[in-house]
Amino acid sequence: MALFRLLSSLVLSGLVLGAHALTPSHHLAASDVARLEAVLSQSFTDLQSAYYSIVGLNKLGVSVADTDEACRFLQSNVDPTSIASLFYAAEASQSLSGCEIPVSNETRDFLLAAVSEDSTISQIHNSVSTLSSLGLPLASQEVVSALTSRITKEDNVYAITLALQTAAHLSQQADLSGILEEIEDLAARLDDLGGVYLQFEEGLEATALFVTAAYALSDHVDMEPPLKEDQVIQLVNSIFSKKSWDSLSEAFSVACAAAALSNNRFHVPVIVSALGPATVSHRQPLLQLQVTNVLCDPLTSASVVVESASSVTTKSAILNQSPFSLRDGIFELNFMNSQPASGYYQFAVAVTGDSRLVANHIELKVKVSTEVVISNMDLSVVDKDQSIGTKTTRVDYPSKAKNSFVADSHQNFAMSFQLVDVNTGVELTPHQTFVRLHNQKTGQEVVFVAEPDSKNLYKFELDTAERKSEFDSISGTYALYLIVGDATLENPILWNVADVVLKFLDEEAPATVQTKTLYVPKPEIKHLFREPEKRPPTVVSNTFTALVLSPFLLLLILWIKLGANISNFSFSPSCILFHVGHAAMLGLMYVYWTHLNMFQTLKYLAILGSFTFLAGNRMLAQKAVKRLTMK
Amino acid sequence: MAASLFSVISRFLEEYTNTTPNKLKLVDAYLLYILLTGAFQFLYCLLVGTFPFNSFLSGFISCVGSFILAVCLRIQINPHNKGDFLTVSPERAFADFLFANTVLHLVVVNFIG
Repeated sequence: MALFRLLSSLVLSGLVLGAHALTPSHHLAASDVARLEAVLSQSFTDLQSAYYSIVGLNKLGVSVADTDEACRFLQSNVDPTSIASLFYAAEASQSLSGCEIPVSNETRDFLLAAVSEDSTISQIHNSVSTLSSLGLPLASQEVVSALTSRITKEDNVYAITLALQTAAHLSQQADLSGILEEIEDLAARLDDLGGVYLQFEEGLEATALFVTAAYALSDHVDMEPPLKEDQVIQLVNSIFSKKSWDSLSEAFSVACAAAALSNNRFHVPVIVSALGPATVSHRQPLLQLQVTNVLCDPLTSASVVVESASSVTTKSAILNQSPFSLRDGIFELNFMNSQPASGYYQFAVAVTGDSRLVANHIELKVKVSTEVVISNMDLSVVDKDQSIGTKTTRVDYPSKAKNSFVADSHQNFAMSFQLVDVNTGVELTPHQTFVRLHNQKTGQEVVFVAEPDSKNLYKFELDTAERKSEFDSISGTYALYLIVGDATLENPILWNVADVVLKFLDEEAPATVQTKTLYVPKPEIKHLFREPEKRPPTVVSNTFTALVLSPFLLLLILWIKLGANISNFSFSPSCILFHVGHAAMLGLMYVYWTHLNMFQTLKYLAILGSFTFLAGNRMLAQKAVKRLTMK
Repeated sequence: MAASLFSVISRFLEEYTNTTPNKLKLVDAYLLYILLTGAFQFLYCLLVGTFPFNSFLSGFISCVGSFILAVCLRIQINPHNKGDFLTVSPERAFADFLFANTVLHLVVVNFIG
């Protein structure tokens, strides 16, 4: 039954998710972007880490601390015989302004020679990127044919991603359609996890590099990548769910993906989040939203509009198509201008202004909180038979009633009050309205709930006689507190209203609260084994054994008296064998009783029985013949 | 009343000793033995209690079963009933009796515990 409910709720949530467009559940906050920058700003140990740091920081829009130092590092560490080394140096130098890596003709020829069907895609990628960064010419069509033939041999995700990245450097005249199709094929290999994440099983780095390469190539050929909006958001969730990165290469891939997603021609995911808790009140009437791209840069050119805002409880619409105003990169709206009652409101916010924006319709829950004030707090002691008039005392918050109230078993203690919204004067019904009676001497406390009537007037009545079990019939002075609380109240109240002296009849002086003895070892339970049944004394059972066996003697006597003759006992072999077999069967019965189990017995019985049967059959046949001949 | 009952019984006994063949009397003696054995077992159960109840049951059932089988044997070998049992010779009846007893006692010994 629970499983069915779980399944149906999953189906429902799936339907609900499908109904509204997906919005990113994971994104980089400003602190995460700062952390990413810090990781990439570590000092370089080798050329590869230098490449990651320099190019990564460049993608985030930040430059390296000391560009000259970095350039010198690149120039001194480059190895002209290694394509990878040349690639790192060339790409990094491009990110640094005014840095040049000198390249000889031999090196250039070496790079060009690497573009062939015999090199791996990684080598082709490195040489093409290097040539392109250094501004050297390359034959795009040759590259395309080399890549196409290599793709069939190297089918893994990383290789095809590198092929996509390589194609982004080629001239637009070349026929890149074959490689462009690889984007769709590769996208089909992504794993959809719960409708929230979309990533390769190879991991975060592969997914991030794929995103970078796909958008680089799509921008290059000016064709929209075959990724649906929901898929883009799922990719955002996958790539930006990890906020601390294992390695420099992982951080680099995340930085590249973030740059690609915030600045491409087709899809720009929008991240909308409230600044602080989404709460407005009279003191803080502005609803503030951060509308940014994945790199946490505010989208200042966008226009943010509340399409509709309705109360969660009454479903009545409060706002319709109200715009937010931009101030210091934060979008603000003064919600209190619409005079909303306190409670929760469902906002549908739309971000427009750029056709590339993805996930630009957001649902937001906003809380409007207020302050409560207690008015008309009246306390009285009412006699049960209503014969004596009530005396009502009014107490004002936060003072305490001067006199204490005395109530014994003939009287009821009554309290009534109203809870009013400070700003609007509307009566409120908060979630928590408790009346707490605390006995200072014994430390005992009893809590009751005060309930509102139809006119939202709260009433509480304490029937002393009826409630004595809750108080354990302990008479004494009880401090009366009123507790008011709610999620939408900014000022929860704990107010010592008065002291109440309760007098109970038949007061037992109870022991101190029993809780102390709860965790003490309990008395040991002695297991009572099943007592064996009472047996009769041996004398009795022996007597009866003899008694039961006695009829056998009687039988023998009777048989002898009747003249049972055994004179016709023929000593033919079958006769003897029969008697022997029969005796053996009886013996087997005894052995069965003492030693054997049914299966063994049946086995022996089968053997003996068939033997006895054959002998007996023979014997009886002979007897029959004899009988018939005698006739 | 008592006198007529007594005369009926004595007449019955007289007829019995005179007319029944010896074979049947042997079987009747066996029947009496089985009956007494069963009765004594039951008496023990009434007086002392049913403590090993399975043992009591198996013993009692053994007596009852044997009694029934012996009665069947007696019916079948009675020359008066020959007309009803044309296919069953006395030897056959005795063989059946032995076989049935074997099965009964196998079960009884199983249950006796």
